[in-house]
Amino acid sequence: MPPLISAEHLSFEYPNGFKALKNVSFTVEPGEFLVVIGLSGSGKSTLMRTINRLLEPTSGTLTFHGSDVTHIEGDALRRHRQKIGMIFQHFNLIKRHSVLRNTLYGALGQLSSMQSMLGHFSPDLCEKALRNLDIVGIREKADQRADSLSGGQQQRVAIARALMQDPMLLLADEPVASLDPATSHSVMKYLDRINKEFGTTVVCNLHFLSLVRQYATRVIALKAGEIVFEGQPSEITEQWFKEIYGDDATEVEIR
Amino acid sequence: MKRHLLRLGIDVFFGAYIATIIDRILIPRVILDNVTTPFDGMHQALVIGLALVLAVLGSVTSASVGRLILDGSVSGSWQRTVAMNIAWISFTLTVLAGWVVTGISPSALFNGQGLEGAGRIFKALFTPNTDIIGSALLAMVETIYLAFMATAIAVPFSFALSFFAARNLMDHGAIPRTIYVAIRFVTNFTRSIEPLIWAIIFSVWVGIGPFAGMLALVVHTISSLTKQYSEQIEDVDTGPMEAISATGASRTQVVWFSVVPQCVIPFLSFTIYRWDINVRMATVIGLVGGGGIGTMLIQYQGLAQWREVGTIVILIALVVWIMDVISARIREALK
Ligand SMILES: Nc1ncnc2c1ncn2[C@@H]1O[C@H](COP(=O)(O)OP(=O)(O)OP(=O)(O)O)[C@@H](O)[C@H]1O
Ligand SMILES: [Mg+2]
Repeated sequence: MPPLISAEHLSFEYPNGFKALKNVSFTVEPGEFLVVIGLSGSGKSTLMRTINRLLEPTSGTLTFHGSDVTHIEGDALRRHRQKIGMIFQHFNLIKRHSVLRNTLYGALGQLSSMQSMLGHFSPDLCEKALRNLDIVGIREKADQRADSLSGGQQQRVAIARALMQDPMLLLADEPVASLDPATSHSVMKYLDRINKEFGTTVVCNLHFLSLVRQYATRVIALKAGEIVFEGQPSEITEQWFKEIYGDDATEVEIR
Repeated sequence: MKRHLLRLGIDVFFGAYIATIIDRILIPRVILDNVTTPFDGMHQALVIGLALVLAVLGSVTSASVGRLILDGSVSGSWQRTVAMNIAWISFTLTVLAGWVVTGISPSALFNGQGLEGAGRIFKALFTPNTDIIGSALLAMVETIYLAFMATAIAVPFSFALSFFAARNLMDHGAIPRTIYVAIRFVTNFTRSIEPLIWAIIFSVWVGIGPFAGMLALVVHTISSLTKQYSEQIEDVDTGPMEAISATGASRTQVVWFSVVPQCVIPFLSFTIYRWDINVRMATVIGLVGGGGIGTMLIQYQGLAQWREVGTIVILIALVVWIMDVISARIREALK
């Protein structure tokens, strides 16, 4: 099978001239659970946003599912994003809207602007949204306001929203960074389950190596916008750890 | 280079300003006792001359007010003293000229006959004529409706415009940026013209009356609300926008589903506050014939019926105060 994502010499420069990604090359195979690690500011979020093309690479090539998506725009860009679900550290739900509506918003890419803005979501879509809420175990919260939920529950709504896209790829940008350890594990388990049961490829940023060892099938480490490590979670030795995080770093456990 | 020119410009301005005040205001109105002299060659030479003197002084030595203002300090002790003195002289002359121009006269304020007249009016004001309360209330209601209609008509326009006047939604190309700049320019311009002046313009256009007053308020409200709305839009949390974009949604969908929900409550709150402001403005506009309580007030004032004027003033104060409290309560509850 061809790789799902293939990045060749990818670079990204912010408008202020800051080079956040420098000549990054890697591939992601279908079904992988790839974890990206690295210090704060190393470019992990930037890499994520380049993959679903919220950001446009400054140079290099990005191939997704066999087609070059480096510089696509308009409808092609919308279709590309539809194939990729994304969840965020701060959940990014529409706070004042219900859990069900938030989930339905995952389908916006598939709907015409007119149809969706009139608030018309078909019974089929609502059914699907409820099923997805069921998958993450919060169907009974469907009618509550999103901001009345706890952090972990909100992140699960965000996962349900992403599932509305029937994604080939799930991007998770520090999905558990604002959650407590127990809740972190519950959210990670849902991602793991989606990866294993539906075969959805996952690319995820994490800060805790204990989580990395538990869930990742492969790891990429970024340092100042460059890939400095690529391999199995078990290969991250003390030495590599110091290489990635700096000499003064010590590992913190999360159980 | 640019800074140097700016410094020179400031020096020239101070020279010309000092010369103009002395020559045009202080000499004719204080020293010559209201003799107006023509602004002929000699006077022009004086103004230009002092401007040039300060400019040359400023660039040759560093005794420059421009430098003092731009850099906050001037090197050299006598240069510093000179620059400071030029600034002080300008300030003192401004106070003197201001005093003369506004005709400040404590004797007029505390003159016996004047005080007696004031006493009569205040006494009348505080013995209101309750007979006119019915008609005054009706006129007050007219004013409130006028303000309400102006706000209601303006809101849809402001709502639509505000999205095109928000920098964060309009930074994706040259055309959007141009639209943004154009809307910002027009709304800033119309907003800087007082509603009272708009009322005068519209009373020429559609005839004197409540309609002209309402149009004046509509124009002012559209530009004010567009500004407030768009600033709110610029303040939204970008996270939800990013999340909706990531689903493959169109720009319009992103705005509708992630920006609008974050803005409705603040928009409502701005709108209610604007209505409150408009009631006050409608009263003032009424004074120039915009109808409602303002027009009634100016009519009784013209007839020197101070007791009736007092009734109206008390009524206005009461209504404005009540509206203020109510609108503050609603806005508080909306938070
Ligand atoms: N909009 C921007 N403009 C300029 N520079 C930016 C912008 N966004 C991020 N950067 C810079 O790019 C670098 C990479 O940012 P990025 O958010 O990708 O880091 P990260 O690895 O996700 O960090 P964190 O763990 O803190 O989330 C940082 O140094 C950051 O300061
Ligand atoms: Mg990040």
